[in-house]
Amino acid sequence: MQENKNRSKKELWFGALFAVVLVAVLVAVYLAFGAKPVAGSKEITIEVVDKEAGTTTYELLTDAAYLRQAMEEAEGLTFSGSESEYGLMVDTVNGERADYHMDGAYWCFYVNGEYSNYGIDTQPVMDGDRYTIRYEKAQ
Amino acid sequence: MKKWHDSEKEKSQKGPITVRDICLIGIMVAVIEVCKAALSFLPNIELTTFWMILFTLFFGRKTALTVPVFVLLEGCIYGFGSWWIMYLYVWPLLVFVTWLGRNQESVWFFSLLSGVFGLLFGFFCAIPYVVIGAWDGGIQSGLYAGFTWWVAGIPWDLVHGGANFLLMLVLYHPVRNVMMRLQEGGPFCDGQ
Repeated sequence: MQENKNRSKKELWFGALFAVVLVAVLVAVYLAFGAKPVAGSKEITIEVVDKEAGTTTYELLTDAAYLRQAMEEAEGLTFSGSESEYGLMVDTVNGERADYHMDGAYWCFYVNGEYSNYGIDTQPVMDGDRYTIRYEKAQ
Repeated sequence: MKKWHDSEKEKSQKGPITVRDICLIGIMVAVIEVCKAALSFLPNIELTTFWMILFTLFFGRKTALTVPVFVLLEGCIYGFGSWWIMYLYVWPLLVFVTWLGRNQESVWFFSLLSGVFGLLFGFFCAIPYVVIGAWDGGIQSGLYAGFTWWVAGIPWDLVHGGANFLLMLVLYHPVRNVMMRLQEGGPFCDGQ
C-alpha cells in the first residue's frame, strides 16, 4: 500500500516536471521561431524647417502608404491642423503655428525638393523619399 | 473512501446501451455545450476538457459515445471547417488517455493531465496543416505549414494549459463529490 503511494507520488512529480519542461520548450520555440514584427520596408527622411530656418530631421523605416501616417510614425514630430475635404490642412508643426490669415505664413510641403501637389493624406510615400516641411510666407 | 471504480460502477459501464444511457449521453453533450457557450468570450478557456475527463472517469465507455455526438454537434453549430478534423482525434485521444489513468484518484494527476492536454492542443491540431501542406507542396512544405501554425498559437496554448490545470484543480473535488452522490442513489445509477 505504502509502496503504491510512493510510486504514485513519484509519478506525479514526474508529471509535474514534464509539464514544466513542456512549458519551457513551448516558450523557447515561440521565442526562437515566433513571428516577429519587422521595421517598415521604406526608408524615408522628413525634414522640418522652422520659422528661424532651424532644421530638424527625422529618418524612419515605414510601411506607410501616405505621408500623414509616416509623419505620425516619426518619433518626436508633432503636427496638427484642420480636417478638410482634401485631408488634414497642417497649420502647426512641432508646436509652431503658421497663421496665413495673420501674416501669410503657412507650412509648405516638398518631396525630394519639388513642391508637393498633394495633401499629406494623399501624398504617396516612396522608398528613399525626402519630405521637407518648411515654414514659409506668401510673397 | 469510496473508489470510483467499484464493481457496481464497472457493471453499469460495461452493460448494454440503454435508453437511459442515450439520455445520459444527451445530457453530457448538453452540459459540455452549455459550458462552452458560457465561456466562449474567454479565448482558450474551456470546460470541455474538464467534463471529458470527469465523464470518462464516471461513465467509462459511454463517454466514448459522447465524443462523436459532441463532435458532430460542434460541426453542425460552427460549420465543418478544418478545425473539425482535429476534433475527430483530439477529444477521443483525451478520453483514451484518461481511461488509461482511470485508477488514479489524485486531483494533481488529473490537473496535470488537463494542463498538458491544453499545452499540446495546438501541436495536435497542427497535424491537418501538415497534411494539407504536404499535399500541396511536398512533405517539407507540409512540415513547415504545420510548424508555423503551431508556433503562432503557442501563447494561446500556454493560456489553454494554465486554465485547464487551474479549472481541474478547483472543480475536481466539488464536482466529483456531487457526481458520486448522484451515482449512489440518483438517476445515473442503473437499476435503481
